[in-house]
Amino acid sequence: MSETMRSDKLAQVSLPIEGMTCAACVAKVEKALKNMAGVQEVHVNLLSGKAAVAYASDQAGVPQMVKMIQDLGYEVPEEEVLLTVRGMSCAACVAKVEKALKGMPGVTSVVVNLPAESAKVKFYPGAVDKTRIKKEINAMGYEASEKVTGQEALDREKEARQKELLFQTRNMWIAWPLASLVMIGMFRDMWILPYFVPKILGNVYVLWALTTPIAFIPGWQFFKHSWNGLKRGATDMNLLYATGIGAAYIIATINTFWPDAGFGGRGATFFESAALLTAFIVLGRFLEAITRGRTSESIRKLMSLQAKTARVIRKGEEVEIAADEVEIGDIVVVRPGESIPVDGEVTEGYSAVDEAMITGESMPVEKRAGSQVTGATMNKTGSFKFKATRVGSETALAQIIKMVEDAQATKAPIQKLADFVAGHFIAGVHVLALIVFFFWFFFGYGAFFSPTSQFILSPYSLAEVGVFGFALLLSVTTLIISCPCALGLATPSAIMAGTGKGAENGILFKGADAVEASSKINAVIFDKTGTLTIGEPSVTDVHVTAGFDRNDVLRLAAITEKSSEHPLGEAIVRGAKEEGLSVGDTDDFEAIPGHGVRATYQGQTILLGNRRLMQQQNIDIGNLSKKMEQLEGEGKTAMLMAVDSKAAGIIAVADTLKENAKAAVERLQQMGVQVAMITGDNQRTAEAIARQVGIKTVLAEVLPQDKAAEVIKLQEKGLKVAMVGDGINDAPALAQADVGIAIGSGTDVAKETGDIILIKDDIRDVVGAIEIGRATMRKIKQNLVWAFVYNITGIPLAAGILYPFTGLLVSPELASFFMAMSSLSVTMNTLLLKRFQPYFRKEQEKAGMHPVPQPQTAR
Amino acid sequence: MNELELKAARQASVFYIAISLVITLIFLAITLVDGNIYTAVARIGGMIWVFILSMIVSMPIVIPAVKKKIMG
Repeated sequence: MSETMRSDKLAQVSLPIEGMTCAACVAKVEKALKNMAGVQEVHVNLLSGKAAVAYASDQAGVPQMVKMIQDLGYEVPEEEVLLTVRGMSCAACVAKVEKALKGMPGVTSVVVNLPAESAKVKFYPGAVDKTRIKKEINAMGYEASEKVTGQEALDREKEARQKELLFQTRNMWIAWPLASLVMIGMFRDMWILPYFVPKILGNVYVLWALTTPIAFIPGWQFFKHSWNGLKRGATDMNLLYATGIGAAYIIATINTFWPDAGFGGRGATFFESAALLTAFIVLGRFLEAITRGRTSESIRKLMSLQAKTARVIRKGEEVEIAADEVEIGDIVVVRPGESIPVDGEVTEGYSAVDEAMITGESMPVEKRAGSQVTGATMNKTGSFKFKATRVGSETALAQIIKMVEDAQATKAPIQKLADFVAGHFIAGVHVLALIVFFFWFFFGYGAFFSPTSQFILSPYSLAEVGVFGFALLLSVTTLIISCPCALGLATPSAIMAGTGKGAENGILFKGADAVEASSKINAVIFDKTGTLTIGEPSVTDVHVTAGFDRNDVLRLAAITEKSSEHPLGEAIVRGAKEEGLSVGDTDDFEAIPGHGVRATYQGQTILLGNRRLMQQQNIDIGNLSKKMEQLEGEGKTAMLMAVDSKAAGIIAVADTLKENAKAAVERLQQMGVQVAMITGDNQRTAEAIARQVGIKTVLAEVLPQDKAAEVIKLQEKGLKVAMVGDGINDAPALAQADVGIAIGSGTDVAKETGDIILIKDDIRDVVGAIEIGRATMRKIKQNLVWAFVYNITGIPLAAGILYPFTGLLVSPELASFFMAMSSLSVTMNTLLLKRFQPYFRKEQEKAGMHPVPQPQTAR
Repeated sequence: MNELELKAARQASVFYIAISLVITLIFLAITLVDGNIYTAVARIGGMIWVFILSMIVSMPIVIPAVKKKIMG
C-alpha cells in the first residue's frame, strides 16, 4: 500500500513524475507542491522520478497534486489494470464497485462491466496500487483478480461459472422443494387440498421450521453481500432482497411464537412470502448464471480455437510441444484437419486453410510457400510447414481477443442514463419504501383498509393484518419489485453480443462507443485507392488497329516495358504474363522523359507512350485518338503503341474496383446512407471510378493531410460521418470521422488506427459494421424500454396504487417473480442478437454458394 | 482498514445514526399527535422499520462524504 499514515492526519504518497531533467525541475516541483495547502513534506527524486509527499488528507488530495504537477509541464503517468470481478449481480453492484473505487485516492477512472464481469481501473501508481484496488473490491464481498487471457482465462472463467452455477443449483434444491411445501401447507385448507395434504403441514411451527432454512441457507448470500456493501456506504440489490426476506421472515416468526404481539397474529404468518420470495430470487440468480455467460460466447469461441499443441522441427526431428512454447523462427508442421497453432509464413507444401474463424471469410484460402498463415485457423486438405513469425500475445487471435475484450470493458454513451438511474436507484427505492410506509401507516390504512383485502393471484386473506403489518408489507413489496437488474443488463449485455457478432464476421469494434456511433452513421466516405479499388494498376483494355493481333501488341508492349520500372509498365508486364505470353528481352531500350519509351526487339522498333511521342515521331494515329479519349474519360491511363512507325493500338491501364465495391455502395445507399469517395487523383479519373461504383459525391485532388478537413466539412452539414480507409495512411481522417473504419488490415490488428477494424479486405464489411451497430442499438433500446417500463409500472403497483379501487395488493413473492422475469427477459432478448446476420452474409447463406463453416475446436 | 479509514467510519457512523434517529423520532412524534391510537407493537415496530430504512438511506450518502472530507 503506497498511501501510508504518518500521524493522525498525515498521509503519504509516492507519485511518479515524467519529464524532469535537472535539479531545477526537482526544485520547481518541490516548491509548487510545498506551497499547496495541507502539504507538509515533499521529497522529489530526480533519478527515480518520484515525489514523496506527506500531506494532511483533509486539506489536500492526490488529484490536486497531480494537477499542480501537470500545470508545471510534467506528466504523472497513469497505470491501467483490467480486473475480473465475480459476484456482481445488478447495475447497483456496478455502481457500488465504481463508487468505492472512484473514492480511492489516486484512482482516476473506473469502468465496470456487469456481463463481462470486468473492471478497468486507471490510477496513479504510488498513490494506490493493484493489490489495494483488489482488496477494496473483495472487501465489498466480490472476488477480484487480474484478468488473464487465452486458455487460462477460459479455464478460470469456466471454473467460476460452474462454481456459481453449482452454488445456485444447491440453493434451488433447498429453496424450491421447501418453498413448495410451505405454500401447500399455507393453503392446505383451500380447494381440494385438505383431502391430500396432511394436517401437520399446515401447522405454523412446521411452516416456520421449513421456512427458516430457506431464509438462512439460500438467502444468506443476500444478507452477507448487503452488509459488506453497507459497511462501506454502498448499497445494491442484495439489500433490497435482504430487507424484503428479513422483514417477511421476522413478521412470520413473531406471529408464530408471539401471536398476540399485534402483528396480525396467526392469520398473518406470511411464511409463503418469505419462502417464495427467496425461492424466486434464487431462481433469478440461477437463470442469470446460465444465460449471462452466453452473451460473451463469441469471445469464448475465439479462445477455444487456440490449438493446445504444435508439432515443430527441433534438431531435425518432429516433436510435439505445447502451443505456447512455440518460438519465433520455429518450423511448424501442419497436417490435414489440424488447427494452426501460431502465425507464420509457409515455407513448404500446399493446402487450403479455413480462415472463417478469424476473418469471417467462408471460402478456404489457398496456401503455398510464401503465404501467411494465421494461428487458430483450420488446415483443410494438404500438409505444409511454416516458419513461426508471431507467437503468444502477438498472434492475430490474441490481438483480436484482446481488442474484443477491451471493447466489451467499455461503456456506450447510452449507458450513462442507465448508470445514473441504477446508481441512485437503491437509495431512492428505500426513500420510496419509507414514504410508502409513512403513507399507509398514518393515512392509507385508516382510509382504505378493508378486511376482504387480498394479494393478486392469491386466495390468502389479509383480514387480520394490523396497521404496522399492512404498511410494512407494502413497503417491503416496493423494495423487492424495484430491483434494477434488468436496467443493469440492458446495455452491456447487448454490447457484448454485438461486439462478439462483429468478431464472428471479421469486424472488430474498438469500444462500445464505436458500436453506438456506427449505428448513427448517415454518411460514409471511402478512400479510393486501396479501399474501393485494388490499389495497383492492371491492364484493362487492349485496342488494336487493322493488321495487328491483340496478343502481339500486348506481348510487344510488355517486352518494351520490361526494362522500365514505372508502375504502369509493371502492370503491362504482369498483364502479359497473366495471359501466358512470353516476355522476351529488348535489344535496345530508351526512356523518353515525359513522352514514353522506345525499344527495339528482333529488328522491330516499338514506341509506347502518349500523343506527344507519336506526334514527335510523325506517326499518324488515325481514329485511335477518339478511342483514347473514351478510355481516358473512363479514368484509365491509355498508351499509344507504334511498331515500325505504324500505329498498332492502345493499351489502357487502370486501378480496378474491388470485387464487391459496387454491391456494398448500393446496399449503403439502400440503407439511406450518403456515400462519398475521396482521393488525391484528378477529377476525371476520380469521377470515372465513382461512376462505375455508383457514387455521386466525389472529393478529388485532396491531399492526404487535407482529408480530415473534408470530413469536417461533411460533419458541419450535420452528418454523422464514417471514414473508410487505410488505417495507417488515412489516420488523421479516420480520427476526425465519427467512426473511423480501417479496412483490409490483415491480421496485425493492434497496429491499426480507427474505431472499427475490418480484418479481411472486403468492402461489404463496412455495411456489416453499420448493420451490426444498428442491430445492437435496437436491442439496447428495446432492453432499456423494457427495463424502465417494468420499474415504472411495477413500483406504483407494489406501492398499492390499485388498492383503494380494487382491494388487491401485489404480494412480495409475486414482486420477486416479476423481478426475476424482467432480467431474464432482457437477457433472452439480447440473446436473439445471436441470430442476427449482416445482409451480405445472409445473402451468401441463402444462395448456398459459400456454406458458413462452424468454428471448430482446436486439437 | 487504515487509521484514516477507521476515523472516517467512526465519524460517519455518528452522522448517519443521528440522522436515522431524528427521522425515527419524527415518526414517533407523529404517532403521538395524529389523533389515532396505535398499539405499542405498531409504534415500536414502525420505529424499528423506519430506523432501518433511514440507516440504509443515510449510510451510502454520509459515508462517502465523510470519507472524502477526511481522506481527500
